[in-house]
Amino acid sequence: MKSLYKDSSLSRKSSLLIRRGFFSRVGDGLHGAALVYLLSNDLFSMDLVQSGGSGKIADLKSRKPHLEPKAKSIIQLFMNGGPSQVDLLDPKPALEKYAGQSPSRDLISEIRAVREAGGLMPSPFKFSKHGESGIEISEIMPHLASQADDITVIRSMFTPHMAHESSLFTMHSGRMFPGRPSLGAWIVYGLGSENQDLPAYVVLDDPKGLPINDIQNWQAGYLPGVYQGTRVRSTGSPLLNLNPKEKWPNPVAKLSESLLRQLDQSHLKKHPGEAELEARISGYELAARMQLTASDALDVSKESAATKEMYGLNQEQTASYGKRCLMARRLVERGVRLVQVYIEGQIWDNHTSITKGLNYACGKTDQPAAALLVDLKQRGLLDDTLVVWGGEFGRQPIAQKPVTGEVGRDHGPSGFSVWLAGGGIKRGFVYGATDEIGYRAVENPVSVHDFHATILHLLGLDHRKLIYQREGRSERLTDEFPARVVSEIIS
Amino acid sequence: MIWRSQHSDRGVFKEKLVSFIIVLMVVVNPLSFAQNESPPDFQSEILPIFKNHCHQCHNSEISQAGLSLETVNDVLKGGNSGPVIIQNKPMESQLFTLINSGTMPMGQSQLSQKQIDLIRRWIKMGDSSQVATSEREIMASILGAKCLPCHGRRRQEAGLDLRTREGLLKGGKSGPAIISGNPEKSLLLKRIVAQEMPPPKLQEEFSVRGLSSSELEKLRLWIAKGAPSDNETPLKLPVKDPLVSDQDRQFWSFQPPKRSSLPKIKGMNRVRNPVDIFLLSQLEKKGLSFSPEADRLTLMRRIYFNLVGLPPTPEEVERFLKNDSPKAYEQLVDQLLESTFYGERWARYWLDAVGYADSEGGVSSDTIRPHAFRYRDYVIRSLNSDKPYDQFLLEQIAGDELFDYRASTTYTQRQLDQLVATGFLRMGPDSTYGTEQNYLPERLDVVATQVEIFSSTVMGLTLACARCHDHKYDPLPQRDYYRLSSIFQTAYDPFDWLSPNVDCIGVGANCNESNTRLLPVTLPNEEKIIKAYNFPIQMKIDQLENQVQEQAQPLREKLIEEKLTLLPKTIQKDLKAAKTIDPKKRTKIQQYLLNKFSSSLQATDIELKQRFDVFLKKAEDIEKQIKDQKKKLKSKPMIRAMFDMGGQPTPTRILGRGEYTNPKSLVHPGVPSVLKNGVSDYKIQDSNFNTATSGRRLALAKWLIQPRHALTSRVMVNRIWQNHFGRGLVATPGNFGVTGERPSHPKLLDWLAQEFVENGWSIKKLHRIIVTSTAYRQKSHISQKIQELDPSNLLVSRFPLRRLDADALRDSILKIAGRLDLTAFGPADELEVKLDGEVVPKPTQRGYRRSIYLMQRRSKPISMLEAFDAPLLVPNCLKRPHSIVSSQALQLKNSDLVNESSRHMAGRIIDEIGDNLEKQVERVYLLTLTRSPSSEERTSALVVLKKLILEWKKHLQSEIPAQPISSRASWLGLSSFCHTYLNSGEFLYVN
Repeated sequence: MKSLYKDSSLSRKSSLLIRRGFFSRVGDGLHGAALVYLLSNDLFSMDLVQSGGSGKIADLKSRKPHLEPKAKSIIQLFMNGGPSQVDLLDPKPALEKYAGQSPSRDLISEIRAVREAGGLMPSPFKFSKHGESGIEISEIMPHLASQADDITVIRSMFTPHMAHESSLFTMHSGRMFPGRPSLGAWIVYGLGSENQDLPAYVVLDDPKGLPINDIQNWQAGYLPGVYQGTRVRSTGSPLLNLNPKEKWPNPVAKLSESLLRQLDQSHLKKHPGEAELEARISGYELAARMQLTASDALDVSKESAATKEMYGLNQEQTASYGKRCLMARRLVERGVRLVQVYIEGQIWDNHTSITKGLNYACGKTDQPAAALLVDLKQRGLLDDTLVVWGGEFGRQPIAQKPVTGEVGRDHGPSGFSVWLAGGGIKRGFVYGATDEIGYRAVENPVSVHDFHATILHLLGLDHRKLIYQREGRSERLTDEFPARVVSEIIS
Repeated sequence: MIWRSQHSDRGVFKEKLVSFIIVLMVVVNPLSFAQNESPPDFQSEILPIFKNHCHQCHNSEISQAGLSLETVNDVLKGGNSGPVIIQNKPMESQLFTLINSGTMPMGQSQLSQKQIDLIRRWIKMGDSSQVATSEREIMASILGAKCLPCHGRRRQEAGLDLRTREGLLKGGKSGPAIISGNPEKSLLLKRIVAQEMPPPKLQEEFSVRGLSSSELEKLRLWIAKGAPSDNETPLKLPVKDPLVSDQDRQFWSFQPPKRSSLPKIKGMNRVRNPVDIFLLSQLEKKGLSFSPEADRLTLMRRIYFNLVGLPPTPEEVERFLKNDSPKAYEQLVDQLLESTFYGERWARYWLDAVGYADSEGGVSSDTIRPHAFRYRDYVIRSLNSDKPYDQFLLEQIAGDELFDYRASTTYTQRQLDQLVATGFLRMGPDSTYGTEQNYLPERLDVVATQVEIFSSTVMGLTLACARCHDHKYDPLPQRDYYRLSSIFQTAYDPFDWLSPNVDCIGVGANCNESNTRLLPVTLPNEEKIIKAYNFPIQMKIDQLENQVQEQAQPLREKLIEEKLTLLPKTIQKDLKAAKTIDPKKRTKIQQYLLNKFSSSLQATDIELKQRFDVFLKKAEDIEKQIKDQKKKLKSKPMIRAMFDMGGQPTPTRILGRGEYTNPKSLVHPGVPSVLKNGVSDYKIQDSNFNTATSGRRLALAKWLIQPRHALTSRVMVNRIWQNHFGRGLVATPGNFGVTGERPSHPKLLDWLAQEFVENGWSIKKLHRIIVTSTAYRQKSHISQKIQELDPSNLLVSRFPLRRLDADALRDSILKIAGRLDLTAFGPADELEVKLDGEVVPKPTQRGYRRSIYLMQRRSKPISMLEAFDAPLLVPNCLKRPHSIVSSQALQLKNSDLVNESSRHMAGRIIDEIGDNLEKQVERVYLLTLTRSPSSEERTSALVVLKKLILEWKKHLQSEIPAQPISSRASWLGLSSFCHTYLNSGEFLYVN
């Protein structure tokens, strides 16, 4: 792959032909020699900078990070819905003491459903210490508990808004509204990919449905579209239109391909110096290659029975999520930079019947997530793969009393927990704390911007240097927000 | 300077931080009550010093170094370098040390020693009541954000109006809301302390939150201090404006277009009109001239795609080739400009620019906007009728203020159009009244989005940057942002907000037509048609609803019986008696009983469903039918309009860092102060209507369409040019400011702008000038010389080779395949999301309509269009991006659209010209490439086509040997052949 990018056999002039503002976005792994030259041509980049255009050329070739990376790739287990910290990762015995008491004025002035607000509510689940590190984890996450010594739990995350929509946008892009590039888009913009035949940024969504905000969660915003997350289906054809609905007989396909090549070559000949035409032709070549590589990468049937069992593929409860966790491992193994695994609907959004709800959510995800850690570790991949588990916010320490049904907890953005593992993360470590009742992050609070800066840092990117020029402004993921790398959790 | 707030998510965190600091000061600093000497009073002693010596630079508007010294809060908040006061520690307080050392006030006489001492003592002794907030903060960011839905303009519960300090003092039915100087006796405070207000039950419904303890404390202190008034008046622009100077107005785009004489050039033989002269003049300076003229068919293909977005039919090609008039091309141009397809093509560019969408977008479930299409149709019609651009703008900005629509009962088509046109200001994302998205910050965002769209689309200004701070590069101070924003406040009042749609969530009784930004105004005829259409469906619905009740009635009686048996026997008896007796004769006790046990005397449908499974099943079944029927109902025709709400809007303030928690000076409505040359000032005139309208937007429109306005004509001319040549004369169509590109041909731009205005702002005349120029008719071939001297085509030394854009590509494939439904206008065609996530439009009875008529949702981009760079419109798009990604190849190769179209295309060809393969090849070339094949191409194509048919035949034989397959193979072979041409570069690119 590398030699292609160094090909400088083409004349400097051909690059000059490109109009200023030529592709504001250029292909995902296009290999046309002409294009490749263009992409690496300084003059062209300069041209773009002057035009107030993107400045950098958009492609997915692997790029040097700003600093020595701790992780090469990242798997984000996105627990959309808002997992309840006080029932999972952040034990609060004080809630027993205050059970039933009314919350304070300030708490009430910040919550959503004031009408349904109940008193302080202890967790229905027991916590106990695990591993040598003695991290306290809830009894409904036994599999994760067995890996306690490999993870860092952050108990002091906070985010500004209490609605799913805004918080999902915040967690993904640092801003509360759509139209901004997601963390993943920034990462592949900064680092490119190790594998040009697969998308660099893969999204494995749940076949049962997309998370809130749909595909906007992995958008590229104002970054070139090539950095957008690519939805890969875990059943059926993995990529949109990767194959036609009805396949042509082979000889027909071959004839058509050769006719197309002939037409395009003669068109190219009529328009010498139009490098864009050549780039388009290589787009077709990539599309053809992807048919093979993508199918192979996602074929979990090739895994051993033991592996499949470990991920829970043999049980109905865990099969779907387990399969996607396993696919995620196969993808990072092949050099995919970032895989995001989503979960059906709102299984963590336990407004009602929280005991039942959390049993279901953990039953579905706990084993596969822990298996992913074990599997990555046994293959020596955990050292340079960062695994991140968490949602867009947490939940309230007070009860939510719906009109009908059993009690649950409402959204709690002011203090929640996430865990991280692998790729430069401390093992068996707890960082930060919420207040006595688990409402607000008070000790070492970690903002979403800190969180983003830290992830970028682990991947070798400096959030202050990862810049995209747009309309005369230098755009960054962390923007002008105060953001710091949480170095305390880095090994 | 730090420019942070555009980037701070409404500064929620910062807000918390600030209030935290304030609380800290209150709590940590109880000091000095024991001291004998009383601390200086801020209002009466300190403020006058600041006023005389500091406010010139440190006021809330100019905020030199980010510091304002207008209120005690401003002082405490500090400036860009942090706090300027450390409580109790004058020597550590920047404010004091700079004054003490004589560094400040800058360029003025120093403060007297007495004044310096006063300030020192004030800092030192720091009376805690100093943190009492100003009237401004109490009214604008505390009471304003939490009380106005019920005690504001349209609604004054208990007769209480909390919009002004006077309203607080006057109070409502229960007496004054506050007693100046006595917080404990103030009703307002009591109710808030008791957590009765804002009522917990209504907070969610009205999108307000309760007061936090720090807000409560501020309110308490302000009342304790005597609820002092700020006696504010709106900001007056200084005669000698420190923020926008005459020097600033010298920048090229802030001066009116200048008419310059035509330059002298050599190549007059290539000149068709002045456009050519201007271009040649710059080409010749480089030793270049125009490229040779493109051949007729190339030109035909070019002008078709460019003006109507569709390829010519073979018949049209033939007709054009037969026309040997020297003006054949000009005639073709006229014909295309008169075609209805023209408006459908060019409306797309305007809709991109205004951020048109058929759903609300933003942070929401992306609710459908069922009435938006009228605006889309208005744009298409306006372009087709060549509505003068000044009129076009006037209607879109102030259509509701052009006639007294409230006083009218019937409307002409023209008047309706004027109301529909205001949809222009309703197209940005608006997720208010969505779940948890209706708070003040979200409302302010909607206004900000419209200001952004308006200023970038119509004026080519990046005014949005000035929402949080003075513009970093252009002379656009923050106050000008809010002055412009204020023009919209009579329609978009964040403190008195209307729902964008009827499908609003979580607002209970407030969710009805009178609370929406929709006008139920239609032509009587239109209403009749819809009523007639809905009538049988409504009948069916009524019938179904009756069915449910028929099922329910016997069960209901049974359930009530059951419920009654649960009561004590005596009560049962009394109740029955009370129920059966004539209501007029009921005793008081009987009435009481009926009231008290009302729930036992009723059985709701829900209860019935819970009790009787049979009913549950039946009812749900029928309810599903009702739901399906309801979906069929055509919605009542409404106009998604922007309209003046009448009366006094809440005054507009500058918002520090764009945050409502940081209110600054009041402003009058106005336009950017830098735009002064060549135009008369923004001036509001009395409308003399029977019903009130502020005239603010009408004044804006009139100011904007003055012939010598520096930006209006230039920005539009540039947009038109860009969509002919792929690149504007100013390459940054939304930024004519300092960081934007300079025009490549300034004189040409100005000439076109003036020509445009002098031709009565006719867009079609402008097209005609551009496309009949020699420049437009050049070949797109890049010669060696061009490669060296004009590689980026900055000088327009050739016609640029361009890929079809998303809409033209999809429409053309459908047109060629004969499956383009040409029905124009009306509600957007619905979409479906296929199992694999592909978003595709649902077919109509006649195929598929043009892309402009498909439902446009920000959350559900149509996969085909998205792959080819249809923009997401967040919030708008002035120039589509251009990418080459593999998903494009996958779309063209494998999508159902292209595969099915190829088969349709083949079928159509066979139907039209029979099975002569040579003729078929000829036809495919004509349809896709608008030309005949060369003899070489013809020969080789024929060979491939024959082979394709043969291979299909072989395949079919192996699959279904018994069937007659010859004609099927011919069809499939030709389909594969067509498919290949639809995938070819020559089809995809226009030269």
